[in-house]
Amino acid sequence: MIVLVGLNHKTASIAVREKIFAGCEEQKDLLGRLKSLDGVGEVLHLSTCNRIEIIAIVEEHDKAVKNIRDFVAVSGGLTEAQAASCFYEYCGEEAVRHIFRVASSLDSMVMGETQILGQVKDAYRQALAQYATGVVLNRLMHCSFRAAKRVRTETAIAVNPVSVSYAAVELAKKIFGSLDGKKILLIGAGEMAELTGMHLISNGAQSVTVANRTLAQAGLLAEKFHGEAVSLDALDAKLIEADIVISSTGAPDFIVTADMLKRIHHQRKNRLLFLIDIAVPRDIEPAASSMENVYLYNIDDLQDIVDENINVRKKEAIKAEMIVEEEVARYVNWQKELESVPTIVSLRNKAEEIVRAEMDKAAGWMQNLNKEDQEKVDNLVNSIVNKVLHAPVSVLKEESSDISSRDIVDAVRRLFRLD
Amino acid sequence: MTLINLENILFNIAFILCAASTAGYLLSLLVKKIKLAKISTWILSTAFCFLTVNLLFAVVNSCGLANLGSRHFLSLCAWSVSAAYLALQFKTKTRSLGAFISPFIFLFMIAAAGQDAGKTLLPENLQSWLTAAHMFLTITGESLFILASCAGAMFIIQNGLLKSKKLSKMSRLLPSLNDLDRINHICLLWGFPVLSAGVLAGMIFAEFSWQAGWLTDPKIIWTFAGWIIYGTLLHQRLAIGWRGYRMALVSCAAFVLLLLSYGSVRFCFSTLHNFI
Repeated sequence: MIVLVGLNHKTASIAVREKIFAGCEEQKDLLGRLKSLDGVGEVLHLSTCNRIEIIAIVEEHDKAVKNIRDFVAVSGGLTEAQAASCFYEYCGEEAVRHIFRVASSLDSMVMGETQILGQVKDAYRQALAQYATGVVLNRLMHCSFRAAKRVRTETAIAVNPVSVSYAAVELAKKIFGSLDGKKILLIGAGEMAELTGMHLISNGAQSVTVANRTLAQAGLLAEKFHGEAVSLDALDAKLIEADIVISSTGAPDFIVTADMLKRIHHQRKNRLLFLIDIAVPRDIEPAASSMENVYLYNIDDLQDIVDENINVRKKEAIKAEMIVEEEVARYVNWQKELESVPTIVSLRNKAEEIVRAEMDKAAGWMQNLNKEDQEKVDNLVNSIVNKVLHAPVSVLKEESSDISSRDIVDAVRRLFRLD
Repeated sequence: MTLINLENILFNIAFILCAASTAGYLLSLLVKKIKLAKISTWILSTAFCFLTVNLLFAVVNSCGLANLGSRHFLSLCAWSVSAAYLALQFKTKTRSLGAFISPFIFLFMIAAAGQDAGKTLLPENLQSWLTAAHMFLTITGESLFILASCAGAMFIIQNGLLKSKKLSKMSRLLPSLNDLDRINHICLLWGFPVLSAGVLAGMIFAEFSWQAGWLTDPKIIWTFAGWIIYGTLLHQRLAIGWRGYRMALVSCAAFVLLLLSYGSVRFCFSTLHNFI
């Protein structure tokens, strides 16, 4: 049976997650130790900044789950009461559904984020390298990757950005196409402006100039970007060169006015200008928005885009859940088929044993036959056995996905005295 | 099978493929799926190949460009617009531009299909390599202007969407403003000298065969007017630094003006170019 024991950002505080994370990291041969727990067969350990989960194949559900939970809690130094409130457990189909949802990023803090699939794949790779997984977990993980891939390609869950800084990058790409070689001007040294600047740089933007009232603070931020620091007096000159301007000062008045932009319009040779104003009160005069080739977005405009994108993701999540359900059903069918495999193998072994015993008994008179006739008798017996077994084996395979398969398996085991 | 039969079959295949690619492009705009536009680009490329072979057969059959039929002339228009668009695809990968340009290509193909396959375009006294060069270069130049205007129209739409502060599905489908401006620039930069060469070839031919009176022909006056408009546009772009929204707007207006002038001259005046 598949079980999943874990905790995430919804059930445990960051302090608890940190303790568990550190505890698990300190364990030498974590997977080996988990696998050696009583009742645990195959095992996989998934650890991200938001979740720590153990997926295992166990014989006895209650006992194994308790062992895993106690092991993880002790590793993180949690009391029993703490452990009781922050751990969740899933078994069977529920566990399958959970891991598929995790891999598809439906259970993530930011739904549709793309990192989680890579983290799940890494966890599986580690388990595989340490021979901690077997047939069931291997199949489970491959199915979870397929579910995640389908969710990514068949829905738009990961298409639109859901953070203000990424929304700014997407807008910049819609204005400039490629950001290669674009020049950024940061006005003010706010954190949000810094983050947006970083995203723009990682998308190809070339140089950063930081303009601030205090030059020393501008210098500190400019150093991070290997850029240039200037005082606000040089703003006009820097606006002429810039393609993207991000403003986040605490100034009570407008820092960039429409008149200022009109003045430099000719010197800029009508180049496209993207202005991002994330300051409150605003730094850039709203009238700039009506100017030709100037695109001004303030924090509310960006937040509106983000909100709209979140709504789109929520709608897409409904489609994604349906895909996950399809994949869960597919996996559960395979698992049920797997349950009938030992019975089919036992049935064939039993039949072969009977044939071997009877052939041994008949060995005395069989030796009077010539070799060709002996082969014909062998073939005849095998053919009869195969034909007799064909019907029950087919029924076992066909009905294995059905709810009544266990009854049929039990009936076959009793009828042929397989136990 | 004769060469003329084969030529007709090739034209029909190209016609069907053009219709399919136009439908695909328009559908991609409607359902906002760029994949459909990509497929349509492949269909249009195939149509272009068929049309190229068709035109090669036509040139062989008519023993040169100067004796081309009316159908082939219009096919040549469709071919040159397709060629210009597909060439730009290698440079800019702006598939959705096809939704704006493919209807023009298909209209040329419909007009071509409506022409008698055997009818020769030019009267015998106008058949010369200079008129052939004049036709080919003028068509190519104006095809590039059609592309410049389509890119301009898309720029105006994308500009409106971005100014309204909404990042809609349509905005995501359309290329970036910079790419559209670049297409506009490339088309003007190449279209103007090509058109100029075409006009020059026509002038040389007119001077030698008609000698006098051709300068006052309404069609030629309008062509000069168009040539001056696009020349001014190019000058403003290169020397004054016009770009972006203003350039998009003016190139759209110039194209509308060109279409109106062509229509008015064609239907209201008697001109030396009445065969087109």
